[in-house]
Amino acid sequence: MDFWFSYITLAEIYVLLGLSTNLLVGIVGIFSVSQAAVFGVGAYIVAYFLMAAEPMSFLPALGIAAVGCILLNVLVTLPSLRVSGDYFVVTSFGIQLLATAVFTNWTAGTGGANGLPGIPPPDLFHHPLESTGQLTLLCTAGAVLGCLAFFLIMRAPFGRLLRAIREDELAVAAAGKNVLRAKVSAAALAGAFAGVAGGLYATFLSFIDPSSFDLDASILLLTMVVVGGARTLAGSIIGPFLLLALPQILTLLDIPTTIAAAMRQLLYGMLLILFMMFRPQGLAGERL
Amino acid sequence: MTAYLEVVGLEKRFGGLLALQDCSFAIAERRITCLVGPNGAGKTTIFNVITGFLKPEEGSVTFRGRSLDGFTPQAVVHTGIARTFQNLRLFADLSALDNVMVGLQRQFAEEPLGAIFRPLHAARAQARRREEARGILAHVGLADRANERVRNLSYGEQKLLTVARVLATGAELLLLDEPASGLSAGALDNIMALLRRLQNEGKTLLVVEHNTRVVQQIADDVLFLHQGHLMAQGTPQEIIADPALAEIYFGGAI
Amino acid sequence: MLWLQLLVNGLETGCALGVVAISFSLVYATTKIFHVAHAGIYTMGGYLAWWLVTHGAPSAVALLLAVAACTVGGAMIQSQIYARLERRRATHLVILIASLGTLAVMQNIIAAVFTPNILQFPIPWAANVMALGGEVRLTWAQMLTIAVSLAAYAGVMWFAHYTILGKRIRAVASNPFLAQITRLQPQSVYVIVVAIASAIVALPGVLVPLDLGLQPYGGITPLLTATIAMIAGGVGSITGAFALSIVIAELQNLSLLVMPGEWSIGITFFIFVIFMLFRPTGLFAAR
Repeated sequence: MDFWFSYITLAEIYVLLGLSTNLLVGIVGIFSVSQAAVFGVGAYIVAYFLMAAEPMSFLPALGIAAVGCILLNVLVTLPSLRVSGDYFVVTSFGIQLLATAVFTNWTAGTGGANGLPGIPPPDLFHHPLESTGQLTLLCTAGAVLGCLAFFLIMRAPFGRLLRAIREDELAVAAAGKNVLRAKVSAAALAGAFAGVAGGLYATFLSFIDPSSFDLDASILLLTMVVVGGARTLAGSIIGPFLLLALPQILTLLDIPTTIAAAMRQLLYGMLLILFMMFRPQGLAGERL
Repeated sequence: MTAYLEVVGLEKRFGGLLALQDCSFAIAERRITCLVGPNGAGKTTIFNVITGFLKPEEGSVTFRGRSLDGFTPQAVVHTGIARTFQNLRLFADLSALDNVMVGLQRQFAEEPLGAIFRPLHAARAQARRREEARGILAHVGLADRANERVRNLSYGEQKLLTVARVLATGAELLLLDEPASGLSAGALDNIMALLRRLQNEGKTLLVVEHNTRVVQQIADDVLFLHQGHLMAQGTPQEIIADPALAEIYFGGAI
Repeated sequence: MLWLQLLVNGLETGCALGVVAISFSLVYATTKIFHVAHAGIYTMGGYLAWWLVTHGAPSAVALLLAVAACTVGGAMIQSQIYARLERRRATHLVILIASLGTLAVMQNIIAAVFTPNILQFPIPWAANVMALGGEVRLTWAQMLTIAVSLAAYAGVMWFAHYTILGKRIRAVASNPFLAQITRLQPQSVYVIVVAIASAIVALPGVLVPLDLGLQPYGGITPLLTATIAMIAGGVGSITGAFALSIVIAELQNLSLLVMPGEWSIGITFFIFVIFMLFRPTGLFAAR
């Protein structure tokens, strides 16, 4: 039973990341391999405040993480909006690699390569949530709120504006709308989702290390959106649930642990190629 | 008295090519002015400069006495000028209604915070603006095509939709880039009637057009452009009757 | 003197990087595809050569076969993946993701077959050190890298400016639309270009690990640095890409005087951001 709780909780956290990646990659159309970096920043911020000399309560820490990730995402996407999309590929890789370098080497702040153990469980107004059931409930609430927010923005004029921008930015500018502001808002939202996911992740696992937030993790996030489907709520939910089940299925194949990680990443890579070639809309999405 | 829209001494280069040179003209309010001239004369370039998509090397654009120097395309729309594109640039996967709604200004929840934190208000506001958009579609004659995707509309309907989209912005000066090109006779009459109707409602139109019949039927004034420069100006009859202009237009000089 | 040693090391790293940069630039300037899988080709070349050498092949043969295999590999990626996607009018984003997927597949096949641990080339003479002027020490591998890289640079320059194929490639690169409607046949040019670029990148792919060892995921950082050099030097400028690679490598090396090596990526990235803010077209942008 604990296994199922674990899987579902993790999947829900990744749904938030799926929404985040979908906003950035699927809707705004920015190629991002730095989503895991932002996720990591959120996780480390919450961990830091929860383990500080004067520990902060969970929700305020989450708020700070969200704000931090919003700023990070905005800063990061601003150059992409000034220069051509391809240059952003370099920026995105660079940010991810830079983040991994910081997570791994800034031992004072992040515990370095050994990570941060002993992160306390989240608390709601100083009432700690310690059982797996309670944590699952919290993450479910987070995922549901995230999905609701996504649903509301896509249904609103903002969602229409984003869809129009994807089709023809110039025409949107000619219609008197501020394209840059819309893209930055979407990136900010994506940052908020990733930051919250990071906080939930840190407190759920009570231990974080750089390997959860590296380039491979960003590739996994991309794969979730590609497989689940771009730009839709359904895709953002299906992708994470499916992709997180895959490693479990792989363990049935009795692969030696030394290459298990490589096999997983190999599978993600194959999924990316195959879906792009034969089903760019994913399982439940719109064409990328 | 300041002109409604005035363009003075515009110069625009693309590398070695001089697209506009010392281009100057003025258009009057509530008139339909047609911009004609052979291909490459600079007509679309003028549109691009007026609407802020291109910066001229020299010259100025003034609207109602206010300079549009350095304005972004969005800012130009806010002054009351909107344009269509020769190649339509409609949002193909959106419905006709959605295309119009993108043009509506000052919508609530066109940003995420309003959408998330005031969802009921957002829904009500959007319902109202949707009715407004339906009204605009009805005005151009597309009422029954509101929910169709643009890719399912006929070319004539798509052209009407481009006009609907600029109307949605609430602009008083409409710059239309070849609104009649490629249309069958019926659709042509339709759109000419629409343009006349818009004028009667107080809009000012600056129309790039190649079709002489259209120019004759709807234009109050004609500006003849050649090699990036205003060559002649007058009523449609005067311009069309002028043999020198006809030679430039049809004679193959670029 | 330490700084002189650092400078010379920087020259070697920079030359190797320069080859990665000009090979990537060839692909990007011509096909407009940001071919991240290029890092996979780079890695593949090294591992293939290693496998051949550890199974008794002479070094030169191993190098040549690695170059050949990379040529074929690159050509296949272009023709089977990119070309197909372009025929289906895939968006830029889709092709990018497919390229990323290809990179992941290549790197992880290598990791699964060869394990993720660092492997060293069993070539004793490569590590022999030559002392230059008594102060500076270079291994044979490093000197070979410099020599081969400069030769590659010269070769590509000659090819681009003095051969018919080279000129055809430059024509396609400068105006793909026009190329489409004349008889230049851009698609077949694309395959040739990626093939050549893959052949070239196999060279540092084999030579650099002689010194530093092989690692399955070791292709990304050089590729990233190389693309930054390409952009800073101006897309389409071969000399710009090569020169900036050396500059960046020197800056990275000299930064070791003041900060730990793990942060060298920070230097590279910082330079890139500066360029993007002030001079997005680079220093020697091709007209």
